[in-house]
Amino acid sequence: MKIIAIIPAFNEESRIAAVVRDASSFVSGVVVVDDCSRDNTANAARSAGATVLRHAINRGQGAALQTATEYALNRLGAEVVVHFDADGQMQGCDIPAMVEPIETGAADVVLGSRFLGKKTNMPMARRVVNRLAQWFTVAISGIRLTDTHCGFRALSRKAAQELTITLDGMAHASQIQDLIVVRRLRYVERPVTIVYSAETLAKSPSSMRAFAIVKDILKDKLITRV
Amino acid sequence: MIFQIVLVTFALFAATRTVKQFRAQKVSLHWLLVWNGLWAVVIGVALWPTSADFVAHLVGIGRGADLALYVSVVVLAYAVFRLFVRQEETQRDITKLVRKIALRDVDESK
Ligand SMILES: Nc1nc2c(ncn2[C@@H]2O[C@H](COP(=O)(O)OP(=O)(O)O)[C@@H](O)[C@H]2O)c(=O)[nH]1
Ligand SMILES: [Mg+2]
Repeated sequence: MKIIAIIPAFNEESRIAAVVRDASSFVSGVVVVDDCSRDNTANAARSAGATVLRHAINRGQGAALQTATEYALNRLGAEVVVHFDADGQMQGCDIPAMVEPIETGAADVVLGSRFLGKKTNMPMARRVVNRLAQWFTVAISGIRLTDTHCGFRALSRKAAQELTITLDGMAHASQIQDLIVVRRLRYVERPVTIVYSAETLAKSPSSMRAFAIVKDILKDKLITRV
Repeated sequence: MIFQIVLVTFALFAATRTVKQFRAQKVSLHWLLVWNGLWAVVIGVALWPTSADFVAHLVGIGRGADLALYVSVVVLAYAVFRLFVRQEETQRDITKLVRKIALRDVDESK
């Protein structure tokens, strides 16, 4: 099957090349969306062998995923799309297990989970935020997941076509869960290993970001979609 | 008293702006009359506040000033709501445009 990894990247110059090479050994192609990084992310990704799309204005991780999805589906004929992060927190070697339920036809969407069996060194504060996110997701989308905001996913071609992301920021994860329910797609969770290094932790203040995500979701639910 | 002066001054100022725009042929006579009629009402109500009570009574509100307040709160709330939606639409349009350019300009030579 033609598996395409799509990687949204924002200021990941120092990490992106290793990530592209890591993912490349498990997929047929890697598409990186450089979301108007201020550093040399695009060149680093290109020389590591990725196809690079560039957003002329920063539009957020959700927007970048949608751009890469359209490219993978329409220009590369992807049969499976894998959402992968640019910062080295995900492991390429998890990709085959993520894709397997789609290859066997058991699921349309495979969601990575940091809490299914495999061990992570996730900090306590993040665990708490994740538990709250889990309840919030049940209330909002009516879907019960062990991990609601793991960016590691695999989508069948059909699922990738149906899950159009319009929430440009980090709230896209919730939108995907919503659409899984609305479009009645078959999904499973699979354990993945996410590495927390000091570098990645310093980069993203997750607890504050949780508020931004909740705000985006509520705005979408209550106001913009009327 | 001060409030009345401020309101009347503002209305007069706004009225002269409209006249200026009319002179510069930026607005039609029709809209000059509409706007300045409106400002005339504002001045009238500012100088004789009880005159608006009549209208307020018609809709079951005690004082003209209260009616003006209620109406402006509703109008403002609606305006904010519309702005919110427009802003969101604009954001989505920008994303579509950025996406279109990204897909068009992709460098496929490797
Ligand atoms: N396209 C795009 N990607 C982003 C943006 N911010 C972060 N990312 C990418 O999204 C992925 C996850 O971001 P990160 O900050 O590590 O979030 P976390 O791992 O969920 O805490 C990484 O690959 C980032 O490079 C952005 O504004 N635009
Ligand atoms: Mg990360």
